[in-house]
Amino acid sequence: MTELIQNLIDGLGRGSIYALLALGVAVVFGVMHLLNFAHGELITVSGYAAYAAFSNGWSWYLVAPLIVVVSVVTNLLIERIAFSRVRGSSEFTQLLTSFGIHFLVAAIFLMYVGARVQTFAEPGWIADTFSVGPIRVEVFDTVVIIVAIVTLAVTAAILQRTMFGLSIRAAAADFDAARLMGVNSDRVIRGAFALSGALAGIAGIFWLMRAGHTSPTSGINPMLSGVLAALIGGLGSLKGAVIGGLALGLAEVMLRTWLPGTAAALTQGVVFTLIALLFIFRPGGLVNVAHAERV
Amino acid sequence: MGAWTRSRRREAGLLFPDLRRDVAFPLAGAVVLFAAFVGAGLLYTLLVEGASADKLITAMFIDAIMVIGIQIYVGNTGVFSFGHIGFGAVAGYAFAIFAIAPDDKYTRIPNAPWGLADVEMGPLPATAVALGITLMVAVVVGIGLGRSGARSGSVAATVITLALLFFTHEVAASWNELTGGERAGLTFGIGDTLQTRTPVYLALFAAIVLALLFARSSIGRLNHAAREDNLAARAMGINPVVQQTIALLLSVAVVSVAASLRVYEIGSLLPEFFFFQYTLLTLVMLVVGGRNGVTGALLGVAIITAVRETARRMGSDGYEVFGLGLDGNLDWVFREGLPTVLLGLAMVVFMIWRPNGVVDDWEVDAWLSRRFTHRQPPGAAVEAPEPEALDLSASGVTVEFGGFRALDGASIEVSNREIVGLIGPNGAGKTTLVNVMTGMVDPTNGVVHLGEMGLTSEPSHAIARAGLVRTFQNLRLFSSLTVRENVEVAALMASVHRNGGTRADVDAIVAGAGLWDQRNRRAGQLDYGNSRRLELARAAAAAPAFLLLDEPTSGMSDTESLAMVESVRRMAAAVGAGVLVIDHDLNFITGICDRVYCLDQGRMIAIGTPDEVQADPAVKAAYLGEAAQQGENSS
Repeated sequence: MTELIQNLIDGLGRGSIYALLALGVAVVFGVMHLLNFAHGELITVSGYAAYAAFSNGWSWYLVAPLIVVVSVVTNLLIERIAFSRVRGSSEFTQLLTSFGIHFLVAAIFLMYVGARVQTFAEPGWIADTFSVGPIRVEVFDTVVIIVAIVTLAVTAAILQRTMFGLSIRAAAADFDAARLMGVNSDRVIRGAFALSGALAGIAGIFWLMRAGHTSPTSGINPMLSGVLAALIGGLGSLKGAVIGGLALGLAEVMLRTWLPGTAAALTQGVVFTLIALLFIFRPGGLVNVAHAERV
Repeated sequence: MGAWTRSRRREAGLLFPDLRRDVAFPLAGAVVLFAAFVGAGLLYTLLVEGASADKLITAMFIDAIMVIGIQIYVGNTGVFSFGHIGFGAVAGYAFAIFAIAPDDKYTRIPNAPWGLADVEMGPLPATAVALGITLMVAVVVGIGLGRSGARSGSVAATVITLALLFFTHEVAASWNELTGGERAGLTFGIGDTLQTRTPVYLALFAAIVLALLFARSSIGRLNHAAREDNLAARAMGINPVVQQTIALLLSVAVVSVAASLRVYEIGSLLPEFFFFQYTLLTLVMLVVGGRNGVTGALLGVAIITAVRETARRMGSDGYEVFGLGLDGNLDWVFREGLPTVLLGLAMVVFMIWRPNGVVDDWEVDAWLSRRFTHRQPPGAAVEAPEPEALDLSASGVTVEFGGFRALDGASIEVSNREIVGLIGPNGAGKTTLVNVMTGMVDPTNGVVHLGEMGLTSEPSHAIARAGLVRTFQNLRLFSSLTVRENVEVAALMASVHRNGGTRADVDAIVAGAGLWDQRNRRAGQLDYGNSRRLELARAAAAAPAFLLLDEPTSGMSDTESLAMVESVRRMAAAVGAGVLVIDHDLNFITGICDRVYCLDQGRMIAIGTPDEVQADPAVKAAYLGEAAQQGENSS
C-alpha cells in the first residue's frame, strides 16, 4: 500500500511534466493538424542556453525564467522559418518537416558544440524528501506537481477567458470549421506556438533539473513523452493531453515496478506498443474526438 | 455493360491491364534505370580509386534497394511509415543470427535461446529465413494498420510504424542473449562477409523490376487511387486495406533482403544500425528524389550519397575540394557533423519548396510508353442493351447526429430504367440520404435495398461493388493521376468485382465524356466543368447499376448545366444504369428527371413528375417559394 502511494506520487510528478509537454503538442496539433516531432528540441535548445548561463555563474532562479523565454522564442522562430511555409500542405509534408527540424537542431549542436554531454549542477534540494506518515515524498515531485497545477490553471484561464483561447479551442474541436471561421490566422497560430513553447519551457525547467545535463540528442525523450501522451489523449483534445500525460507518467512508474528484470528496460517500447494497440482498437485515443470527414 | 466492353484489345491478365504498357515498358525502364544507376556508381569507383570508394558504392547500391523497398509502400499507398527500418532491424538480426558461423556465436551469444548458437547456415538460406520471419511481423503490423484505418497522412499509421521501430530497437538493445546487446552486438568472422557485388546487383535489379511492375499493376493503380483520395476510392469499390497490405508485404520483402545485405556487407550489427539515423537517411533519400516513383527514389539515393560523401570529406582534416576545406576560412561550415546537418536541412528545405522531390512521379517507363504509343480516338459508344429491371430503395431512414435529426423516416425508390431527382432546400438531408445509401453514414433507423440485397450499413466499397456508385458535391478526383487513369481505376475495379473480368473501354468513356484531348493531363489541372465531367465519367466506368450524383451542376453556368443534362443521359444510357440525382438547378432537374422527390427537414414531402412536384403547395412553401422569389429578384 505504502509502495503504491509512493509510486502514485512519483508517477504524478513525472506525469505532470509529460502533461505540460503533451498540452504543447496538442495545442499545435489543434491549430495546424501537425504532429510536432520537433517539440523536444525546445528542451535541447533551452538546455544549452541553461548550460551557457551556468557557465557565466547564473543561479537556477535566473536560469528557470531564461529557459521559458528561450523555449518560447525558439518555437516562434521554428514556426516562422519552417512551419509557416508548409501551412496547408499535406499532413505528410508537415510531419516530415517537423521530423527534419528535430534532426537539424540536434545536428547543429553536434556540429558547433560537440557530442559531449554538458553537465550543470542540479539544485541542492532535488534529492530532499519529507515524510507524511509512513510515506516519503520528494520535494521535487511536490514542487513539480504544484507548478504544473498552477500552470494548467493559468493555461485553462487563457483558453477559457480570452478570444485567443476560444480560437484555439474551436480549432482543436473542429479544425475545418474553425479554419472556415478565420481561425487559421497568423496571430492564432503564432499564439499557439508561443503557448506551446511556454509550456515546454516550464516542463523543460524540471526536465533539465532532474537530468542535470544536456546533449545534442537530449530532445528525443521529452519529444517522445510529449507526443505519446498527446496521442493517448486523442491529440485534438486539450483536456485529453493532460490526462494522457498523467496516465503516461503513472504507466511508466508502474511498468518499471511490475515488469520482471530484463523486461524493465523495455518500458518505452512497451508503452509505445500499448499506444499502437490503442490506435488499432480505439483510433480516437482515451478521449474520443470525432474526426468525421465531410462529404 | 456491353457497349463499352472492348473485344479487340489483347486479353491481358487482371493483374496487368495492358501488357505492352504495364509489363514490356516497365521491364525496359528497369534496364535503363539499373544501367544508369549502376553505371554512375561504377564510374565513380573508376575516377576515385581505393577500397573506401568501393565500399561507398556498395553501400549506395544496398541503400538503393532499401529505399526502393520503402518506396513500394510509401510511394504507392501514400501512407507514411517510420517503421520500415524497424522491419529492417528484424530482418538484419534474423539474418545475422542465422548466418554467423557457430564459432563466432559461441564467443558472442553462447546462451542464445532455442539453440540458435549452434545453427550453421549459408547466407542465402539465412536471407530466406530472415525474409520469412520479417514477413510474419509485417502481416501482424499490416493487420494493425488496416484496422486503424490507415490512410495517407494518418496519425495512426505514423504511431503504429514508429512503435515498431522503437520496439524492435529496444528488444535488440536489451535481449543480450540473442542480439549481443547495445554495445557488443554481433560480428561476422573475418572473411565471412560479403565478398562480391553479384548478389547486390541481382537484388537491386529485382527490386527495380518489382517496384516498376507493382506500380503498373492493377493493385498498384488501385493503391494510387486510395492514396489520392481514400474516401472516393472506397466509393468506387476499392478496399484500400487489402491493396495497402499487399503493398506492405512486397515492400517489406525488399527491405528484408536489403537489410540482410547491409548486415552482410558491414560484417557486424548493433541496434543503432537500424534506428533513427538510418530512418532519417533513407527517408531523405526517398523524398529528395521523389517518393512517388522509382526514378525519384534512385535519384535521391545518388544525390544524397554524393552530398554526404562530399560533406564528409570536406569535414575531415586537410581535405580540399576546389580549394575549400578545413584549412580554408570556411571551416565553420566544413566540419564534423556537417553530413547530418545537411540531411536535416535537405528534409526541411525539400518539404518547404519541393515536397514531391526533384522529379516527382516522373518515371522512365511511363515516358517511354507515352512516347512510343499512339492511341487513336475511339468510335462513338453504342447504348447498352436494356438491363434487367432492378430497384434501389431506402425506407424509413432516420439519421441522428447528437440531438439533431438530419433524416426523419425518409423513403425513396428508384428503378434502373429511370432518372430520379432529389430536391429540397439546404440542410434538408439530401446528401445525408445519399451518404446512408452508399454506406458513408450509418442510419439510426431504416433499411437500404438493391433488389433483394440488403445494403444497410455495409462498407462503402462493398456497396459500390454491388452497383451503387456516387459522385461528390465537393469534387473528389484522384488529382495527381491523369484523366485517363482516373477512369481506368474505376474500370479496373469494375472488371474485377462487377463484370467478371471484362473490362470497359476506357478510351471510349474518356472520349464519350468529351475529355479525349485532356486524357494525359492530371485531374488536378482540369478546370471546373471538366472536373465535373470527369467525375461523372469515372463513376460510369465503374459499371454501376445506379449512379448517385450529388449536385453535378453546382457552380456551372446555365449552358454548361444544359450540356450536363445531355452528358448524364448519355452516360446512364451507355452504362445501362438508373440515376438518382441531387441538384438545386430546377432547369436541370425538370430537363432530365422522370420523377422527383422533395425532402424538407429530413422528411419526404412530395413525390411525382417534375411538374407535379413543382405545383405541390408543400414544395412551394418549403423550397420553390424561396427559389421563385430569388428568380424574380434577379430577373
